Amino acid sequence: MPADRPVLLRLASASRTFQMGEVAVVALRNVTLDIYEGEFLVMVGPSGSGKTTLLNLVGGMDQPTEGSVWYRDIDLATLSTRALTRYRRETIGFVFQFYNLIPNLTARENITVATEISQDPLDPDEALRLVGLEPRRDHFPAQLSGGEQQRVSIARAVAKNPELLLCDEPTGALDFSTGKQLLWLLLQMKNRLGKTIIVITHNVAIGEVADRVVRLRSGEIAETHVNEKPRSPEEISW
Amino acid sequence: MRTLDRKLRREFRSAFGRLLAVTSIIAVGVACYVEMESCYTNLVDAKQRYYTRCRMADFSLEVKKLPVSELSLLSRFPEVLELRPRIQFFATVDLERAPRLLNGQVLSLPDRPEPTINDIVLKRGSYFTDTRDNEVIVNDGFAKQHGLSPGQWIHLILNNRRQELFIVGTAISSEFVYLVGPGAITPDPQHFGVFYLKHRYAEEVFNFEGACNQVLGRLTPAAKRHPEDLLRQMEVILEPFGVFSSTPLKDQPSNRYISDEMDGLATFGKIMPGIFLSVAALVLNILMARWTDQQRTIVGTLKALGYGDGQVLGHFLKFGLTVGFLGGAIGCFLGFLLARWVTGIYGTFYEFPDLRNRVYADLWLIGLAISLLCAILGTLYGAYGVLRLRPAEAMRTRAPRRGGAIVLEKVTFFWRRLGFSWRLVLRDVWRQPVRTGAGLFASAMGASILLTGFTMHEAIFHLIDFQFRKVQAADLELSFKDERGIEALDEAKNLPGVDHAEPFLSVACTFHFGPYRRKGSITGIRPDARLTTPRDRDGNRLRIPDAGLVMSRKLAELLHVSVGDVLTVEPTKGLKLPRRVPLASIADGYLGMSVYADIHYLNWLVGEEFAVSGVQLALDKDARNLRRLHGELKELPGVQAISARADAIKNLEDTVIKTQKTFIGLLIVFAGVIFFGSVLNSSLIGLAERQAEVATLRVLGYGPWEVGGIFLRESMTVNLAGTLLGIPLGYRLCHWLADAHDTELFRIPVVYAPWVIATTLVLSVVFGLLAHAFVQRGIHKMDWLEALKVRE
Repeated sequence: MPADRPVLLRLASASRTFQMGEVAVVALRNVTLDIYEGEFLVMVGPSGSGKTTLLNLVGGMDQPTEGSVWYRDIDLATLSTRALTRYRRETIGFVFQFYNLIPNLTARENITVATEISQDPLDPDEALRLVGLEPRRDHFPAQLSGGEQQRVSIARAVAKNPELLLCDEPTGALDFSTGKQLLWLLLQMKNRLGKTIIVITHNVAIGEVADRVVRLRSGEIAETHVNEKPRSPEEISW
Repeated sequence: MRTLDRKLRREFRSAFGRLLAVTSIIAVGVACYVEMESCYTNLVDAKQRYYTRCRMADFSLEVKKLPVSELSLLSRFPEVLELRPRIQFFATVDLERAPRLLNGQVLSLPDRPEPTINDIVLKRGSYFTDTRDNEVIVNDGFAKQHGLSPGQWIHLILNNRRQELFIVGTAISSEFVYLVGPGAITPDPQHFGVFYLKHRYAEEVFNFEGACNQVLGRLTPAAKRHPEDLLRQMEVILEPFGVFSSTPLKDQPSNRYISDEMDGLATFGKIMPGIFLSVAALVLNILMARWTDQQRTIVGTLKALGYGDGQVLGHFLKFGLTVGFLGGAIGCFLGFLLARWVTGIYGTFYEFPDLRNRVYADLWLIGLAISLLCAILGTLYGAYGVLRLRPAEAMRTRAPRRGGAIVLEKVTFFWRRLGFSWRLVLRDVWRQPVRTGAGLFASAMGASILLTGFTMHEAIFHLIDFQFRKVQAADLELSFKDERGIEALDEAKNLPGVDHAEPFLSVACTFHFGPYRRKGSITGIRPDARLTTPRDRDGNRLRIPDAGLVMSRKLAELLHVSVGDVLTVEPTKGLKLPRRVPLASIADGYLGMSVYADIHYLNWLVGEEFAVSGVQLALDKDARNLRRLHGELKELPGVQAISARADAIKNLEDTVIKTQKTFIGLLIVFAGVIFFGSVLNSSLIGLAERQAEVATLRVLGYGPWEVGGIFLRESMTVNLAGTLLGIPLGYRLCHWLADAHDTELFRIPVVYAPWVIATTLVLSVVFGLLAHAFVQRGIHKMDWLEALKVRE
């Protein structure tokens, strides 16, 4: 299905090696992958398979040691720090596995910290409403449950109104029903706002709601599967 | 960026303890700088204004007797702008209420008020009137001490005659900013005063009609800078009139004292703030580095959200700049208050008409700029480590810090004896070299400041003991107006209460050695003298040679002369023939630049049979005898000055020691801030970084006191090691300061006293414990269950 859409991101033989003391750890090995506009892509794989590294590369948070990562016609591997910052600011919304909320800011302020630097942001309260947390807008992260913190993290990513939403284990710390709510939210982003969404997860079941599932193993793509008929979050369980 | 500012505000609140620690160190550094520079500027300005107002003389020439008509010999020099003849003598003052004769200096002033060199500033009463000839204007400090007011009469022994004088006014003058009597080192208005007489009256009383014995002069600005050659030419011209000496302004006693004090202040004013600000910069550096490091994940998140490096750095800079600004502003204000207080203390030593503390905008700006610079440098260094990380790296869980054994573990017999907590402490100290280094540096600096303060205090006691008990042991010293023969000694021996009496002869002279030349005087004493005993550095008595000199180390250094060298001595009285004299030994002392010789040898040098300038007396302890003695001295003719050792010691204790105690108190507070601030900062950072470790220990069953004990051991290990390092550093600083204060008038010994080291160590522990109390409170209040959930 996605082949009829323009390519938004392209990884071309991208590798990322980390030097850990005297040992070189290859986190991503020679990966080639196209990601299309408006696609809901899920990447699954065990710990250490390179999911987060791949997400960091497409999110402009890291650069490949070999190969290239293209966003439309821009090679992210060649961008300067300043240009990468602009890319993240204007294009990317990031949902972190551990939420990464700033402890000293309230829920709403954690969103405004993102909207203040965005070009065309949503209203922070609107973003909170989207994740159902408007009543808790003035609570600090320490006063919110894990699920609520993750929803703030999503609201923060969404409020930037980015073209690309990157989610690192977004349901990892959530209970079943909150996890499902979150998936609804992501689908809404895709369907109503036309965002491209990349989710990385251990949770294979989530792949069932995606347009495409990429399975990573030891830093390489082991398998790619296109869902002809993605299911609704209601229909899946884990 | 408004949201980030809100984050910042909250962080300020939560890091209050650490901020307080750093801010107070910066504030103390800036306060020190502003205080010392302000005091220095206050003194310089007050001196400048005063000298201009009184038309302070650029030189004075002391002669035996010079007809005023001969002044034209000097006014021919194009460098001379203005000259004034003056009559000056030392005199004794007989106050009915005072049990003993007091010392005074009598100076002539124009009969009518007119702009004159070394003018006076009237404080009370009026200038001379036409009503009577015998009017006197009394130095204000002396008048106040003795309750003298215009309208009263006093008695002075002038030219061996008791004169009754009418006080018309009290005054101060720029030539007596630091009013010290003969042989004294501290102002003593209780026992020494200055008395201004009408010039015509002075001529009459001292038989100086149409003549003077002192010429004051002002020079062109160019000549002022190097007046020595000009003065030498003048001395040659005035030779027929019996010239004793010439004194350029820089050697004028009062000017010399304040200039030395200002030089010392200028040196001290660089060292002390330098120490505080370097500690502040280092501690701020650590604070910022740790703070930014703890915010790694937040930095990563902000960067992931699209914040640029500049914006994140700006955020950190706001934190640093706020600390810098607060420290600087508090420091400037505190410095102003301290300067006002210290200037007030200077006011008790120095008599200025308008010594007051002002706000110096430039000093405040420099103080603020230094403080902000410290903050910026600290922040840049601290933030650099985190900012250079890519967001993905910043957000990744930090790999455990380098583990492995530390060097100490190789000393197995030692390491095996250590318990778990000591091992934890030593490893942490070892593996945090920057933080440990900063802690060591701060404690070393704090200790060196304390040690310097205490050593300086000890130095004064040593000085009093050495100078007034070992070298000068006479209870009373009488100086005669004119030299007398051996019979003066017999008279002195028969005075009531006198146990022992010794003669002395004081001869002003010029010393030459090669190209070096110095003015000074030689004191002739008996070889077996008990009341004046020159000593070497270790306090051992030096033998007075039959022929040759015993010279103070300072003068020998200035003349570049060593033991065995032969120098030329040119007396300013007697035959005045230049004599070649060997240097027999070098004496140590802390006041002035004494030179001693056998009294017979000195008499031979000046061609006298046996002349004495005065006698030194050892008295019995009977108070009645002392009263009788002073009563008889009032009747004794020819006494020009009386100096009592007890007065000198008491005066030193009442002024120098009292003031010093205040300054030492201040130094203790300042050093305390360094110890306290450094320990608190480093421990709180450690606590913030090691929350998970603390939580784990609590889960394992450790109580808060046991956990606190680990932190205490760590901070005390660094604190005490730093203090031990600070002790030799402090002595180095003492030597440095002693060198800076090494002047012709006064020198400070560096004394090694066990109590100084012990007190420094004890205070270091006390300040460390005080700071730990805050850390312990933090450990008690810590929500360790929550800390367990922290990922890193």
